[in-house]
Amino acid sequence: MGRAGRRLAAVPMALLALATVYPLLFTANVAGKTRREYVLDRFSPTGSPHAENLVTAWTGVGMARYAVNSLLVVVCAVALLLLLGSMAGFALSHLRFRGSGALFLGCLAALFVPFQVIMVPLVRIMADGGLVDTYPGLVLAYVAQFLPFTIFLMTSYYASVPRELVDAARIDGNTLYGVHRRVMLPLGAPALLSVGILDALFCWNDVLIALLVMPSPEHRTLMVGVTSLRGQYAQDVPVFAAGVLIAAVPVLLLHLFFQRQIADGVTAGATKG
Amino acid sequence: MPRAGASAPSPPGAAVPSGAERGAPRTGRGSGPAGRAARRVAGGARGERLAPYVLVAPAVLVLVALRLWPLVLGVNFSFTGDGARDGTAVGLDNYRELWRDPLFRSALRNTGTLVLLLPVAVAIPGLLATFIHLRVPGHRFYRGVYFFPAVLSPVIAGAIFNLLLAYDGPLNRALEGAGLGAVDWLGDPDVALFTVVGVHVWATFGMALVVFLAGFAALDTSLLDAAKVDGASFPATLRHVIVPGLSRTIQFVFVTTMIGMLTSMFGLLYVMTGGGPEGATHLPEFYIWIQQGQMDRPALAAAASTVLFLLMLVVGLAQIGLLRRSGREH
Repeated sequence: MGRAGRRLAAVPMALLALATVYPLLFTANVAGKTRREYVLDRFSPTGSPHAENLVTAWTGVGMARYAVNSLLVVVCAVALLLLLGSMAGFALSHLRFRGSGALFLGCLAALFVPFQVIMVPLVRIMADGGLVDTYPGLVLAYVAQFLPFTIFLMTSYYASVPRELVDAARIDGNTLYGVHRRVMLPLGAPALLSVGILDALFCWNDVLIALLVMPSPEHRTLMVGVTSLRGQYAQDVPVFAAGVLIAAVPVLLLHLFFQRQIADGVTAGATKG
Repeated sequence: MPRAGASAPSPPGAAVPSGAERGAPRTGRGSGPAGRAARRVAGGARGERLAPYVLVAPAVLVLVALRLWPLVLGVNFSFTGDGARDGTAVGLDNYRELWRDPLFRSALRNTGTLVLLLPVAVAIPGLLATFIHLRVPGHRFYRGVYFFPAVLSPVIAGAIFNLLLAYDGPLNRALEGAGLGAVDWLGDPDVALFTVVGVHVWATFGMALVVFLAGFAALDTSLLDAAKVDGASFPATLRHVIVPGLSRTIQFVFVTTMIGMLTSMFGLLYVMTGGGPEGATHLPEFYIWIQQGQMDRPALAAAASTVLFLLMLVVGLAQIGLLRRSGREH
């Protein structure tokens, strides 16, 4: 492609970049308006953005409560995912045991079984176990949902760890659990970070699993909270926009700081295949 | 990718050795440093022999109880009745009812429309990645900007576009400013599905873009350079160098995009249309949710789940087949 062609391609690309950014800017702008300003003119940039809507959404509507719920569930789920994923990943990549092939294939197959396919019986099973509408229930549901992905990426990452390192650690007198704790966990840090951030994004952004497994209003996660906000504040759009903004900020920060790790995690699946 | 349950990474890869193929220290017996070390370890050989099973046990437990068991149960469940007939075998009744339900048929028809739109959803990030790879002015900036909607929840994307696509919202105002009429983006049954797919593409093309760029990074640049030296036009380069060189990446993006469309539109539908107007944006996953969560028809929902599972199975097998074929080519 010549110089002129490249300039030509830059035009639709710039327009698309605008289309990518504008929706969020518009929402942020609306969130800064009073209800009256919004009704009169929703488009022009606010001269003096108001923080009241953010405060209303955070305290008055209960987004604070929802954010705590989300944070609690996501932190527990990701910690468990990384622990179970790295244990299984270590065993699958370096140890020989009966059924390892079946387990790995099972994880791959599970990637093609979406949540919607199993959600009806899953809710029944969790209800029988008294797990519906509890925090451990939602944590377990997330772990079950994203564990195959986590195991898959951890296994393929650990497969690149040289066998000699494992052997050396064992000569030093480590048990296999010791090898996992002292060699695999530290060496796996980049992959754990990458997979952990992706898992956190999946859990934080989920709405369907949370709706089904933790349905009661005081257990709402932030994303479920946003959907309920829509009904409650249909007339007060600026407060709605403020709520949306609050729910979007954490992931935007994650993106800002960990863009490379997110991209690594996304592409690991593609290039390892 | 990645959205609840959606972003499936790749299929069994040749590059990923499973535990069985990889030589590992045999504990307890045998020679070599590992064997001797194991004998020295307190607790003895038996604990060490069990160690791999202990390491995978928690994961296996969770997966069997909350993934495999529900799958088996669900298929079984779809042959039983709802309400008064709860627990009794009803044969294929649920499937017959699905077939007769105009809403489910609409959901299947809409799935067909999504499949037809698939090439567009793959071509957009593919072309953008090509431009970025060819170092269009500002390519670094675009790479960062394009990716950011991909981290947003479908709920957030849907809520934002609810504001943008309102009848008196910014998009219609821009259209009117350009002398075109306003469009009822979410209320017109002929338009709503395309609107929702458009928002879905807006929210996910960054993921596919990143995958494409990784494919480009692994592409043999000498071919691209040769095409440049030969003075090949851009369309010719695209067709003869880039598309064949990226065939595996393109297949991968095709399948992940398909899975994304089949399984991660729920958040958008829930926030933007509720499956309406007149079922115009109903999809199987939304139908399952309505029957389970709203209509209290879990057995019917389980039957719809089984149909969705079969659809996914076809997609999965298609990918494995394609990969096998491309594996033979290389």
